[in-house]
Amino acid sequence: MRNLIYLFLLAGSLTGNAQNFVKDNYIKREVYIPMRDGVRLFTSIYIPKDPSHGPYPFLMERTPYGAGPYGDSVYRGGLGPNATLSREPFIFVYQDVRGRYMSEGSFQEMTPHKEGKKPGDGQTDESSDTWDTIDWLLKNIQGNNGRVGIWGISYPGFYASASLPDAHPAIKAVSPQAPVTDEFIGDDANHNGAFFLLDNFDFDNFFDVERPTPVTDYGHNIFSADIRDAYQFFLDLGPIKNTNKPEYFSNKGKIWNEYLGHSTYDAYWQARNIRTHLQHIRPAVLVVGGWFDAEDMFGALRTYEAIEKQTPHNDNHLIMGPWTHGGWSAGNWPRYGVLDFGQNVNEYYHQLETGFFNHYLKDSACPVLSEATVFETGSNQWRHYDAWPPAGAHPTKFYFREKGKLSTEGKMATGFDEYVSDPAHPVPYIDGVRGGRDNQYMVADQRFAVQRPDVLSWQTDTLRKDLTVTGRLRADIFLSSTGTDADLVVKLIDVLPDGYQRLVRAEVFRCKFRNSFVKPEPLIPGKITEVAYDLNEIAHTFKQGHRIMVQVQSSWFPLVDLNPQTFVNIPTCSATDFQKATIRIYHDASHLSGIVLPIVNAGIGLHEK
Amino acid sequence: MRKTAFLFHFFVLCSLAYGQGNGQDSSWIRDNYYKMERYIPMRDGVKLFTSFYIPKDTTARHPILLQRTPYSCAPYGEDKWRSFAERYIRYYLREGYIVVTQDVRGRWMSEGQFVDVRPFIRNKTGKEVDEASDTYDAIDWMIKNVPYNNGRVGVFGGSYPGFYAAMAAASGHPALKAVSPQAPVTDWFMGDDFHHNGAFFQMDGWAFYSSFGKPRPQPTTVGPKGFDFHSQDNYQWYLQTGALKNIMKLTGDSIAFWKDLYAHPNRDAWWQARNARVAMYNIQPAVLVVGGLFDAEDCFGAWNLFKAIRAQSPATNSHLVMGPWYHGEWASNDGTHLGNIQFGSNTAFWYQNNIEIPFFNYYLKGEGADPQTAVATIFFSGENKWKKFARWPPAEEKEQALYLQPGGGLAWEKPSGASARQASAGQASAGQAGYDEYISDPAHPVPYTEDVHFNRTREYMTDDQRFASRRTDVLSYQTPVLTEDLTLGGPLTADLKVSLSGEDADFVVKLIDVFPDDFTYGSTPAAAGHAPPRSYPMGGYQMLVRGEVMRGRFRESFEKPVPFKPGRIETVRFSIPDVAHTFRKGHRLMVQVQSSWFPLVDRNPQKFVNIYTCDDSDFQKETIRLYHDSEHPSQLILPVIK
Repeated sequence: MRNLIYLFLLAGSLTGNAQNFVKDNYIKREVYIPMRDGVRLFTSIYIPKDPSHGPYPFLMERTPYGAGPYGDSVYRGGLGPNATLSREPFIFVYQDVRGRYMSEGSFQEMTPHKEGKKPGDGQTDESSDTWDTIDWLLKNIQGNNGRVGIWGISYPGFYASASLPDAHPAIKAVSPQAPVTDEFIGDDANHNGAFFLLDNFDFDNFFDVERPTPVTDYGHNIFSADIRDAYQFFLDLGPIKNTNKPEYFSNKGKIWNEYLGHSTYDAYWQARNIRTHLQHIRPAVLVVGGWFDAEDMFGALRTYEAIEKQTPHNDNHLIMGPWTHGGWSAGNWPRYGVLDFGQNVNEYYHQLETGFFNHYLKDSACPVLSEATVFETGSNQWRHYDAWPPAGAHPTKFYFREKGKLSTEGKMATGFDEYVSDPAHPVPYIDGVRGGRDNQYMVADQRFAVQRPDVLSWQTDTLRKDLTVTGRLRADIFLSSTGTDADLVVKLIDVLPDGYQRLVRAEVFRCKFRNSFVKPEPLIPGKITEVAYDLNEIAHTFKQGHRIMVQVQSSWFPLVDLNPQTFVNIPTCSATDFQKATIRIYHDASHLSGIVLPIVNAGIGLHEK
Repeated sequence: MRKTAFLFHFFVLCSLAYGQGNGQDSSWIRDNYYKMERYIPMRDGVKLFTSFYIPKDTTARHPILLQRTPYSCAPYGEDKWRSFAERYIRYYLREGYIVVTQDVRGRWMSEGQFVDVRPFIRNKTGKEVDEASDTYDAIDWMIKNVPYNNGRVGVFGGSYPGFYAAMAAASGHPALKAVSPQAPVTDWFMGDDFHHNGAFFQMDGWAFYSSFGKPRPQPTTVGPKGFDFHSQDNYQWYLQTGALKNIMKLTGDSIAFWKDLYAHPNRDAWWQARNARVAMYNIQPAVLVVGGLFDAEDCFGAWNLFKAIRAQSPATNSHLVMGPWYHGEWASNDGTHLGNIQFGSNTAFWYQNNIEIPFFNYYLKGEGADPQTAVATIFFSGENKWKKFARWPPAEEKEQALYLQPGGGLAWEKPSGASARQASAGQASAGQAGYDEYISDPAHPVPYTEDVHFNRTREYMTDDQRFASRRTDVLSYQTPVLTEDLTLGGPLTADLKVSLSGEDADFVVKLIDVFPDDFTYGSTPAAAGHAPPRSYPMGGYQMLVRGEVMRGRFRESFEKPVPFKPGRIETVRFSIPDVAHTFRKGHRLMVQVQSSWFPLVDRNPQKFVNIYTCDDSDFQKETIRLYHDSEHPSQLILPVIK
């Protein structure tokens, strides 16, 4: 979850050597910086002892996870976003955002940006808090060179994004990394309106603890739950409203109740979509994301896209690598799960990231950063593009055909396949028994799923040539249900020659939102309905001898909460609203379900005799 | 059966022993024994190859311990020795036994024609032979020709050799004093190896017979090659291979017994002749039947051969030992656990030293006190205790029905709900209507275990069934948390009230012990220099205690299958091999019902056709209803020990 990276960095910071380096080379100051409305934000500043290479730029992270360790004499183990950068002299700044840990004020989930606010009108948001902080730093910290860089991963990635609209002129370079961006459409809380139960139940238990006054340690979670088998736990828990039972949130989670209270893409969520405000962006931007990020892959790709579209001339870059959430900040990243990348991917990335900040904050020469630097999985190569998604890919629809065939040929298609989706026996998101969410599900073998009667699968013949897919995936499904709502989960799979079904990408869609995320509409039982949606981008080579497989199912549990399969308000519905439904996926001539893959190499190795 | 388990152990441990065996035992055996190989003539002139390890000691006479096997008495050559040092058989060598292994008729270096589970002939005349007469002739030759034997012979053997031990018991030779059939292949249609209640165990059968069943035209020391599956995924391999007739094509009809199996889909006279129990009359020697509660191959055989002896030869001095074992684990060095389930002690070591060795010593050496082996010595998993009984099932056992209830419950009381016939169709939901239903789809059969692998695991017998609970085509029923221990000892009977949309179905009933959510065995200490072993999450574990399958078409008769009438409520009643298990206070008892168990069991096409010859296109989905109303109370009859 979003807190994992925080824990990860904290753990990483405990190495004695690194801590000595920071203490030996930096002076630490803790200050309260006053905002325009009088609220003061706790800020921890590490200033290089050696002024001889200065003046120095600021490099700042604003965080809801604690700017600690707290105390003038207690130092962080490491500074900055990566180990290479931490050896460079910057004035490193960590700030508790408004209402978290030692900062004053009250916290808001994903603080909405306020357009048109003016100094003096008393209005604040994250942009103004960043502005006020920088203004204070420039005036009060000696030896600065007048430039500021900002980075952050996950929730701090949001604060990096939020610094961009109406940015302080001293901000020269910003790197939102896995930035939480739109929590209804694709990050953390919901994907296409489907609630990510497992992650958020865990995260909000930790994150949503009330804080009446500033603290260095929240001390406890809202509740304690010894979850050893998450599938069984959430199945037994029943409808989502039961999460507010006395032994769980008990209505003590402010954000939790906001989530449950906003089950459509209403003003609450729209105000929290920072993409709307990524206009007239001036600082250079480097967006970073991971192909195996279970939380904010959407945020990385869509933040880059929003800036490209809304600020076309901005100096905007994207790096996507084979990472889990925040995996790029680790020292070493040679493999993940069953995948072996054949290199320490992070060594190269850390050069790029360090070069980016050095260039814009210190005017140092740096390796030219491509518009998009993307790691292609399957072939294990970094690719450089001058646009993302790259031009020249051919969107090619792969049709679901009879007898489980996946084919680019749609002629003479007939029929449908069907399954019974039973909320009492949802499809697990991963095999085995697990207490917490296992990130490996993003690359895990899907054979456990294909063995189920409620999972449909289609696959191509064995590929006769490598087939590279780079760009946005789109599922286009014609379905009918006996119920009035349904979830669709579409999974793109690389079938290895030994039969391993490696998940490449999966995404869920809550069908009631097929026409509008704002105004859900029921399915009409028995009526064929088209549901089309994006599965974000991939960069993947299906190797010769492999097959491409697509699986479709209607649950992904307990990653995603259960769809009752009746058209009700899910956060308030009852156990009796959950019904079995028979779902048909059509592939006849006028209802050609399939998936669109942007294929880079022509002559795709299919149907060649 | 898949004697690969046995063979694997045998050969691997042998080869290990050469390198790192118990050097002391190894050199002691070499110093004190010599090896001899002979052909022993049978009454019809056929000669059976036999290998002897004989004590050099001529100051005393020695008992003979014989094993007859289709798996070879290798290594061949009087200068090539089996390695005994790592096996518990070394104890017998230390005790001065003459250890003998014989290739059965038609296998390896023996002459003659091999016949699988050769039928027993009750009143043999002249030169008629069966395995009992071959054993008789072998014993007769040995006591007359092996130097310094004491005139007493014991026979033991596990798995297929367990069948030969059972046949030995029926030989009637007066020198035969003690016999131990272990996991004896007993009835290949009803419960061992190839079929359980008529359902075909294709995976074990094919893995075994694709090599074992190959013709052996001449005596040889070289075994057949295994079939190359080119797969690491048995589920996928068997699903892709499809109908049984497609497996037959892979043999090019070279495997005679495979053809026989296909030619006898029902329990006809051919199968009835291959039931070892028909030979269990007038058994003279003392008998010690041994088996594993969790033996995936011949659990049925151990329980039921013993029962046949008790019933048909009541005067025989017969005993039963059942431990918490996989196929052959009692002969291993480690009987502490199976898969994720711990047994609290080395049960194999205890058995070897407290039961088997004293048994043979008493009857074959003719010295020492009667070890007073109980009639039944049974290990109860769950409470992890050996218990002794004067009969089996024990006198304390009482049959008690546990009824399936609406809403996934299990209770000792009959369900009270109105009959399904009275509930208006389409109005009430399934649970309220007095039944639960699922669609059984031969294209997506229920796997017998969760992980992808090729060779059938032996651990599936105690595996966590949570992967199955999560499926739409598996029904689960469970009791409330038990407030006191519940001990079961004896056979089970499933009595299901079902209706089908098709004409046939398999029913797999699984008895499961649901562990408490906070259950743990405690942390396993790390071996020196190693990280502690990654422990399986045992909280909420659904331990398979016993699973059994019934092919629905045989519900009225195993000889004459009958189709189901679509939509009609019918009774499917079948017996399930004995269990010995205590459900501890705080646990729950769960029953799961499903209609496939793949690829352990072949798929039922769900159409009334000959399954061995039908086409891929004959396999069809069907909807199966399982009833639990007052008129149609599905139940599991349990052997409760109070």
